[in-house]
Amino acid sequence: MVLRKELIDGLRDRRSIASLAVASAMTPLLFGIVFTLVAERRKSADEIALPVAGAQYAPAFVDWLTQQTGVTVVPAPSDPEASVRNRDEDVVLIIEEDFQNNLARAVPAPVKLVADVTRFATLPKVNRVRALVFTYSQLMGSLRLISRGVAPSVATALRVEEVEVSSSQQRLAAQLGMLPLFLVIAALAGGMQIAIDSTAGERERGSLEPLLLNPVPRGAFAAGKWVAASLFGCGAVIFSLVLTITVLRRVPWHDLGIRFTVTDAGLASLLALILPAALFLGAVVLFASTFARSFKEAQTYMGMLILVPMLPGLVSAAYPLSNRPWLAPVPIVGQYALAADVLGGTPPRPMFYIVAGVSVLMCAVALVIVTARLLRRETIIFGR
Amino acid sequence: MITLGGVHKRFGHVEAVRHVSFTADDGSVTGLLGPNGAGKTTTLRLLSGLMRPDRGTIEVDGHDVIADPIPAQRAMGLLPDSRGLYPRLTAREHIRYFGELRGLRRAELAERTRRLLEQLGLGPLADRPVAGFSQGERTKVALARALVHEPHNVILDEPTNGLDIMSTRAVRELVRDLKRVGRCVLFSSHIMQEVSALCDRIVVIAQGTVVADGTPDALRRQANRDDLEEAFVVLAGLEPDAGALP
Repeated sequence: MVLRKELIDGLRDRRSIASLAVASAMTPLLFGIVFTLVAERRKSADEIALPVAGAQYAPAFVDWLTQQTGVTVVPAPSDPEASVRNRDEDVVLIIEEDFQNNLARAVPAPVKLVADVTRFATLPKVNRVRALVFTYSQLMGSLRLISRGVAPSVATALRVEEVEVSSSQQRLAAQLGMLPLFLVIAALAGGMQIAIDSTAGERERGSLEPLLLNPVPRGAFAAGKWVAASLFGCGAVIFSLVLTITVLRRVPWHDLGIRFTVTDAGLASLLALILPAALFLGAVVLFASTFARSFKEAQTYMGMLILVPMLPGLVSAAYPLSNRPWLAPVPIVGQYALAADVLGGTPPRPMFYIVAGVSVLMCAVALVIVTARLLRRETIIFGR
Repeated sequence: MITLGGVHKRFGHVEAVRHVSFTADDGSVTGLLGPNGAGKTTTLRLLSGLMRPDRGTIEVDGHDVIADPIPAQRAMGLLPDSRGLYPRLTAREHIRYFGELRGLRRAELAERTRRLLEQLGLGPLADRPVAGFSQGERTKVALARALVHEPHNVILDEPTNGLDIMSTRAVRELVRDLKRVGRCVLFSSHIMQEVSALCDRIVVIAQGTVVADGTPDALRRQANRDDLEEAFVVLAGLEPDAGALP
């Protein structure tokens, strides 16, 4: 009954619905935008229009550049440095006057690459240009050695061959590493508003005292409000995940050299991991907002609470949590660890899901019991 | 029937309620009269079981409120000092929510809700969200949800506070009806006319203690004043030197 009332009330509350919507939409939007941008940036390095200043000093070099796939040479602006600084151009190649001279005398010929390292977006393009210049330099060097009767391989002492051991799936997992964190935040944000409204808000409106006059154990009130908040949190997680996957399926992954393969089974495993955690997070926000003296104070607590699940998320960026299923019983951290394995294509055994779920649910129930106790305190009821 | 015996409550260094004892009988209206800050609301909160006294006994129909408030809460209908509503729910939904929490059956609840809404003149507003209600309409909704389970003991904390004349009349009528059917009504007020118009017995409370307890006539005799308001002023100790009155 408490649950039904809170759900009706919550569904009529614009703020609750707005927070649910924002919580659901945030992750898919973020992922969609980031990956699309990354993919486009990669692509932008493949098809470049390269402004070259002083092209007349090195016609052979410019010809060679033009022959490279995806490269078009265009005239450079009059002041290359200013134009890069003003973001009119991403990168400009300057060929100095004595280029041809030096080349002829076998002295390193001066070439300037104008770029701005703080503009991360342009880095792939700059790197491509740098690689082109280096290749040309190698090419010329080899030709010189050959003309002097020396095998070019003599000048190459080492040959690096990179062997990539990560599977396409693991590279995908690395890209999606933030997903569990975002889902946890969605669970928190989705249930937050309704939790505040049904506790701190209830007291602020003066409806808590009449409510508690009903001959119903405090546990029933706490449980009803908990389930209501958690259902909103779960809703946010489900919407968020489904939308994110839908968006990700449209990202041009081939441009990133990754095949996107999150199966429906993987989706289901992620939900099986995160939904019990959403119940726990519902209990956390309920507890915090019961403790708060006012709506405002509760919102302040929520701001801090959202930061907490980020900590293990950030730590896991430095110390990957994959292949550590023994972390399962630790609330939230366990979910991160198991989710990393699911995304990595090595799903943990079902037992670990159960351990993680049971452990996180036990913590949730404990918090609800503490919340019910809080509702017995005079200072909480009357807000002294 | 409501019985308080030697009830004591302190907040920090403030003794809000000191040794309060009184009885409210069935089939009669008992008024808890006192100036602002006398301890009326605290006394009623102690009675409701939401606050625990430091000492003393509180019984409602023989149920010990302090040991286990739930049976006593079943026998009570209480309009507390804070009568907050849920702005997004309608009047009918408020009454239904509380009725459900009281374990009423659906058909019975619908019938009682309809009757209460009619009795309090809320019929036309029943299905509107209470966000737009006036002070008086809100109080009536709060009253209706407190009475939906037809409690044997009705406790009202300043029920007519902020109500207009017609609403006040409706509340008084309701109190008389409750008395007629043998309920025990206890209400607090600082308004003299109200108490004199309705009460069979008056308990005057001042600075946390009961200073007088009896019928309106007995109080007039005790204070040696013909006017009940004068009697209240004297009994409540608001006028330390009664002889100095102009």
